[in-house]
Amino acid sequence: MKAFEYATALSTESAQQLVADSGQFIAGGNDLLGRLKEYLADAKIVVNIKSLPGLDKIETGSQTWSIGALVTVAQIENHAEIKKVFPGLHTAAAEVGSQQIRNVATVGGNLSQHSRCWYYRHRDTLCLKKHGDLCYARHGENRYHSLFTGNTCISPVVSNLATAFAALDATAIVLREGKETRMSMAELYANAWENPTAHNSLKPGDLILKIEIPTARTHSAYMQVSEKHEFDWALVSCAAAGKVSGGKISQPRVALGCISPVPHQVKAANDFLEGKTLDEATVSQAADMILKDAQPLEHNGYKVPIAHALIRRTLLQLKG
Amino acid sequence: MPSWPTETKYISHSTLRIDAVPKLTGQARYSSDIQAQGWLYGMILRSKWPAAKITSINLEKARAIPGIKAALTVQDGERTVRYYGEELAAVAGTTKQACLDALRAIEVEAKPLPHVVHETEAMKDDSPKVWEGSPNASNPKPSDKGDVDKAFAECAAVIEGFYTTPVQLHHPMETHGSTVSWTDDGVTAWVSTQGVFGSRDALAGGLKLEQSKVRVLSEFMGGGFGAKFPPVLESVLAARLSREVKAPVRLMLTRFDEALAVGNRPSSFQKIKLGASADGTLQAFEFDNYGTGGLGSGGTTAGGGSGVNLPQPYIYRVPNTRVKQTVVAINAGGARAFRAPAHPPASYGMECAMDDLAVKLGMDPVELRLKNDPSEIRQREYKIGIERFGWKEKYKKPGSSPGVVKVGVGCGGSAWSGGGGARTTQGEAQINPDGSIEVRLGVQDLGTGTKTVIAVVAAEILGLKPEQITVKIGDTRYPPGPGSGGSMTCPSVAPTVFDVCTKTLEQLQTQAGIADARGENWFSACKKLGVNPLVVHGQWQPGLSDSRACGVQFAEVEVDTETGMVTVKKITCIQDGGLIVNKNTFESQVNGGIIMGMGYALYEERIMDDLSGVVLNPNFETYKVSGIGDIPEIDITLLNMPERGVIGIGEPVTIPTASAIANAVANAIGVRVSSLPITPAKVLAALGKVPPSTVSKT
Repeated sequence: MKAFEYATALSTESAQQLVADSGQFIAGGNDLLGRLKEYLADAKIVVNIKSLPGLDKIETGSQTWSIGALVTVAQIENHAEIKKVFPGLHTAAAEVGSQQIRNVATVGGNLSQHSRCWYYRHRDTLCLKKHGDLCYARHGENRYHSLFTGNTCISPVVSNLATAFAALDATAIVLREGKETRMSMAELYANAWENPTAHNSLKPGDLILKIEIPTARTHSAYMQVSEKHEFDWALVSCAAAGKVSGGKISQPRVALGCISPVPHQVKAANDFLEGKTLDEATVSQAADMILKDAQPLEHNGYKVPIAHALIRRTLLQLKG
Repeated sequence: MPSWPTETKYISHSTLRIDAVPKLTGQARYSSDIQAQGWLYGMILRSKWPAAKITSINLEKARAIPGIKAALTVQDGERTVRYYGEELAAVAGTTKQACLDALRAIEVEAKPLPHVVHETEAMKDDSPKVWEGSPNASNPKPSDKGDVDKAFAECAAVIEGFYTTPVQLHHPMETHGSTVSWTDDGVTAWVSTQGVFGSRDALAGGLKLEQSKVRVLSEFMGGGFGAKFPPVLESVLAARLSREVKAPVRLMLTRFDEALAVGNRPSSFQKIKLGASADGTLQAFEFDNYGTGGLGSGGTTAGGGSGVNLPQPYIYRVPNTRVKQTVVAINAGGARAFRAPAHPPASYGMECAMDDLAVKLGMDPVELRLKNDPSEIRQREYKIGIERFGWKEKYKKPGSSPGVVKVGVGCGGSAWSGGGGARTTQGEAQINPDGSIEVRLGVQDLGTGTKTVIAVVAAEILGLKPEQITVKIGDTRYPPGPGSGGSMTCPSVAPTVFDVCTKTLEQLQTQAGIADARGENWFSACKKLGVNPLVVHGQWQPGLSDSRACGVQFAEVEVDTETGMVTVKKITCIQDGGLIVNKNTFESQVNGGIIMGMGYALYEERIMDDLSGVVLNPNFETYKVSGIGDIPEIDITLLNMPERGVIGIGEPVTIPTASAIANAVANAIGVRVSSLPITPAKVLAALGKVPPSTVSKT
């Protein structure tokens, strides 16, 4: 990696001042260090934010929970109350990387991690996402890539937590130029849909402070299929949430990861599910709606049946 | 003729690894842990081009980087590189970062050439040529035995299949490399190697030094699977750097490097036609295979050791055969020996064909094997396996398992022509007057438990405990041992230690005037040596080892037909290894072989990119190997056959795992996934569930 300055910030204000336009925040470092070592990221200064006060808390509430950006993925995994209140989030956290990775990975880092596309990550392929001229994956090996995209790049969002948070309709509180901005998961990734070089909607210096999760959806579930049984990225991930009573679902939301640059959500499907009894026929119809516009490439068509199965299974799991 | 003792205390029993504690506590010093006085880091610059004419390499800017002490080119003058990752230059410096910076500062001028990285493309007439003026593909004639066409015409059942296997990477836990110190006295090299003597000779040759001036050490090394035989370019480069900087240089490859330039198992694309008479007796076999061993194959070197050619029809007796095998060169790193070279792909192709034929004949797949496998040992093993695995209860008609998650079972057999001893192996024992004993052999431990085997045999012969034996290996100053390949280490070492210790005991008894110096008499006998230790040489003796281990494996899997996910529930292995020296390390080898075979079945595949020519998965994130969460119940039954002598089994135990798993998947879902690795994508495709692409590439 290239040489950089290193500083530990003790307040969010100083963190943003230090990082300015040409720095990077570091918390767990799983993603950033990999990018620095492969010369994918430039940093004049790396600003340690692990000591920022108050961002490592999980706060419960009757209407809303708040999870600080510095809470580790392992803390979510080991939190007995989260397992009860947001089982989908709990499972999503437990499926992240390996135990060692979860121990240091933070919520903020998981949400802001970059694409895992193997062309983006390869030191000797200058792809579109790295401001090159073409998307190699579109022409080449695209088995792990998107079924949906709004631009030419086909690398998908791979954050498990983003998928779970999207289904729970969570909001990211982002510090932007000194002001707190509220962003839905859709908004947090919207730029990646439009812009091939974007991984999310965060601008340089933006700092995720916490995630707020409404408790309205009393039921949630998350599932992923990977090639291996553990310590592997999802081929497709899926989260579903809603309030289920007497077999009927209200405020349903389904979100999928690894098939689009944004957590994939289809409003029409959520609307369709409202008030429905969760049975095989209904969830299958919802899955059809969610995947209707999928555009399989040469090697990733298999993600369609996996996504279909996961939508049905997570929704049926909500019945308990 | 010597013979093994029939009543034993340690041989054929279980002794824990004598070096378990240093390995587990980190005290064991592997090649990558060696910190020679004043050592520097070494690193290699590799080609960024899959094919190019290199016109100049300018090292000046690299030499100017603070901390850089030396930089050199691998080869002077213009040259052609033929794969992404080929070695161009090397640097030595005081820190890793200085070396990384230096590699980026080296200026390479190159004229890119067209490249081809996939076998099927490379075989086309208009494909770029890996070797100028030579076709990429060899042009072999089929070799016939019997009358194949007539035999097929008379068969009651004939199947045809196209079974493919990917290029597999070795990826030993410790990467390739060494620390090399070149002084006026000669070269000392701590090499992660499968052959200390082979490395010594290769280094001496490469450096134009007398063999006596080169000493190679490898007390602990972290695996090789066939990829760590000399010649050792990275060690030669470390030596050249060391000479220049007058300090030891440690040059270990990175995980990234491992995926490019230090070997692989060739791919295979096997078109198989197999026919039998109504009772299941095989009558005819036709085989048309192509595959690549990287750049080191193709027209100019067709058939030359690339390991592409497969020993088909593998373990089965077929009277009429036609075999054609084409070796294809591509712009990728060359193949090297890989745990049972050519056997796992051969087994996969043939065992899949056998099961497909069994389905067509309406026969139990094990019955079909018993009918056509000439090995009496495997016949026995299948019969044991049927009981232990519960085959008769578990085997159901293909695809008949109910529900979304289907269960299935399969099997496969293995043969290994190697596993015998190297007759040149020598060793020595030193008995000290205080009764301590050191046994020394110039062999290395790939991780298989060689040191423990030496201690077990020595303890048995001398009537001592294994922990009383100090075992010294991994040094060319000890009597010469074999390279660790072909599953030869154990059958080379065990008879040698037998001979060394038998002779030592005889001499001790003579010198001490004691009729039996073993066991409780040991210390009093040793005391009579006076002041001088007793050193006795010995060598490998015939009659104590053999080759040709036989094994069979059964697999039970679950397949989720909606997600394509395969879960291996159980592997049952029945394995012969002649005389079992140490059960514990034998079983470890079986476990390791099965786990690696599982990776071959379900996960492992080197993926090349057409356009850029790079290896796309040069890391464990996307080159996937079996992890602890993937590993099933493994049930091992060992046949102990002391009358055969010691037989190496490191290689055969990995051969049939993928075949058994592939057949179990086909049995579960009722259709054949005819390509390894069996990923969810391929399972879903085989089930007809994958929608076609709707997107144009541009």
